[in-house]
Formats: sequence, C-alpha cells, structure tokens
Amino acid sequence: MIPRPLSLLCELTYRCNLQCPYCYNPVRLRDYADELSTPQWESVLAQAADAGVVQVHFSGGEPTLRRDLPELVSAASRQELYTNLITQGTFLDDLLLDRLLAAGLDHVQISIQAPEAEVADRIAGTVVHEKKLEVLERVRRRDVALTLNCVLHRFNHDALEKVIALAERLEIRRLELANVQFYGWAYRNRAALMPTREQVYHAEAVVIAARERLTGRMEIVYVRPDYFDDFPKPCMNGWGREFMTVTPNGQVLPCPAAAAIETLKFENVRDRPLAEIWGESESFTRYRGTQWMPEPCRSCERREIDWGGCRCQAYLLAGDAGLTDPACSLSPAHDAVVSLRDGSSQEVALVARRA
Amino acid sequence: MNREAPLALGKGVKLRHDRDGSVMLLVPEGALMLNASAAAALELVDGQRTFDDIVGLVVERFEVAAEIARAELDELFARLAERGFLR
Repeated sequence: MIPRPLSLLCELTYRCNLQCPYCYNPVRLRDYADELSTPQWESVLAQAADAGVVQVHFSGGEPTLRRDLPELVSAASRQELYTNLITQGTFLDDLLLDRLLAAGLDHVQISIQAPEAEVADRIAGTVVHEKKLEVLERVRRRDVALTLNCVLHRFNHDALEKVIALAERLEIRRLELANVQFYGWAYRNRAALMPTREQVYHAEAVVIAARERLTGRMEIVYVRPDYFDDFPKPCMNGWGREFMTVTPNGQVLPCPAAAAIETLKFENVRDRPLAEIWGESESFTRYRGTQWMPEPCRSCERREIDWGGCRCQAYLLAGDAGLTDPACSLSPAHDAVVSLRDGSSQEVALVARRA
Repeated sequence: MNREAPLALGKGVKLRHDRDGSVMLLVPEGALMLNASAAAALELVDGQRTFDDIVGLVVERFEVAAEIARAELDELFARLAERGFLR
C-alpha cells in the first residue's frame, strides 16, 4: 500500500543573504535559478492537500526573499494546511509579519548562528546577529508559535549553554539544537565543521540538565550527531513514507538532500502530477519500505525503526544509495564515518556558501 | 496546569478533522494522532471552559464514570500543557 504523505517542504528559493558554511543546500546553486511561479506553487499546495498532506514548511535558501510568500501562505491556509516558516529572520519586519499572520501563518522557526554577535556574524559571513535578536523579540510577542533554532558544529558547540540562556532570556517556548547534518555545503565543509568527541559528550549532559530544569517552560529538541551514534537516524522516518520536498525549480525529492544522489532521476511538478510522483515514480518507490534493503538491514530487528538510515549518506560515503547508512556501526562502510569523526581534531579552513 | 482557569490551545496548535474521520492535533513541526476520547475532550477547549467544565461535559456526553474521565483527562492535559500545547 502506498503510504500517505503528511508533510511537504517547499524550498521556495535557494537565494540567501547569508553564507553559512553548514548549509545543506546543493553546492551547484545555479541549477535551481529557474524558480516556480506563484501559480505553480499554488498548484503544488493544492495537489499536496489532495494527496493527504497536513503540514507545509516554507524554507529555502531564505524564503522571505520570495515576494509572494504571504500569497503562498494564504494559499496553503485555504487548503487547510498547517503553515510553518523556516527563516533566518533578517527580513521579518512588522509589515511582513503582519501580512504573514493575516495570511494564516501558524509557526515560525528562526535560526541564529551562535549566541553572541562576534561568532554568529563570522559564521553567517555578514553582520546579522543583533538584527536577529530584534526580530526574535518582535515575533515572540505576536500570536504565532516560535521556535529558535541553532545548528551546532565545532565553532559554536562550546557556546551551547549560552544558546540555552539566550532562549531563556527571550522566553522561547521551543528550542531546536541541531547538530549539523553533512549534506550540500556542509558535506563540503565536513572536516572543518565536525565537532570533537568532547564537545558532543559535553552537549548531551548540558541538554539533559537543561531539559530537567526547564520542564513546562521550554521544550528542547536536540538533534544528535549521527556520526557519533551506534545506529543511524531514521532519516525522514523512512524514504517516501511521510515526507516530500519540492525544490525551487520544481523537482520532487524524498529528502531535502536527495539531489546529491546522481543515480536516481527526480521528477518535476512541471511535468507530472505530484501524487503520481509520490506514488509511482522510481525515485520514490526505489527505497520505500524494507524490500530494497541489503544486509545487514534486511534481517535487522531495527529495520522498521531506522529504515536503513539515510540514503544520501549511503551514497555520499559508501558510493551506493542502496546500502546501509555508514553511520550504522553494523555497516561494512562504517570506517568512512569513523575516520571522518576521529579526524575531527585537525584544523581545516571553511568554504563560505555562495549567496 | 491550573484546573480552575479557562483553557485554550497553545500558540500554533490546531485541531484538524480529516476526510477519513480521524482527528489530529497539529503542533509546531509535528502532528499527534488523537483517539476518539482525546479528540472529544480537546474539541471542548475553547478559551472559556475550565478543566472541570470539560470533565463534566465529557462525563455527561459519553456516559463514562466521572473518576475515570477525570483521571484520563488529567494525564492527557498535563502532558499537553507541559509541551505548551495547552495554555
């Protein structure tokens, strides 16, 4: 049976005014310059709702660079979709916020690069931190749910306590602390961004203590670094099971990082209905369920817990998207992860993302 | 959770009735599938009714024992309030 898609990530544009080296966007950004029009996105939203989707996430790049964002939020609301905006926040002035809330926006996730301006602005490649604090202050007073997000890597891991303290000061209800995932630009910068083992262990303890102290006031979502775990993450909760992404130019992906897999052909909403792509296209069916799995996944009792881990990571690190995720300690290619992780004490220069 | 104060859904929290009859609680970056009794109770959260009001209505409408309804809703609502889904 074909599962029902529940969640749609609309990557409206890959344009961005920041240059974070941990960005998961594809390195070849110019392939995506031919962006879908407003009516094309509206059609995607209507098709998604028909297919069963209940929640839509507008992201990028920086989604507020699309001037039609309020129109798209409004189109999603008309389809009774729950709307989430994932933004770095620098363009969220009162006027835009008014328009987005009037359009029915349900939730905003705003990211910071670090708790203090000096490091944050260095990572972002431009001066934005103080502005972001103003925006957070503005948004938290409005009638919209707010998540503060900070992507963790070697250059800000040690400031974790300060991120939590900042969130407390701003009375943030939901804080997401996500270890960097190595795709796109972040994959290119993986050696430089990899946290050290000491940083990772320290973070676990800090998060556990903060959760206990802040119960009932703040929810802390902590995304573990899968390179340091014994088992892989249940990426997307399984390929083609709940989640799909539409890229700025209309490609439909089972995972936001999947474009890296050059052995799969991804179809486009300009050419084929979304429900057909979800249900029937080779890109979605190839790794759906458990039938495709090789050993050690095939006979593993965790096969319906982690779904073989991440297909993109298998492709990037083991050379075949149809293998067990090398993040798994049972993977024959696990050495690739171990050497990356244990090489994490070396100093390597960062490559800034192109804007 | 204050049992005497009016209860409302938290910011960014919505009940959704699906075509297939199922009810979900949509929350920031997630969805919780609700069973029939949880859905019925959350349906009554309107920013005016208190916890006691809601327990009373559930007992009246569903012919369940007051003690059982109270215990079940107390657990459910406390869990949701802790995550900010009720205020």
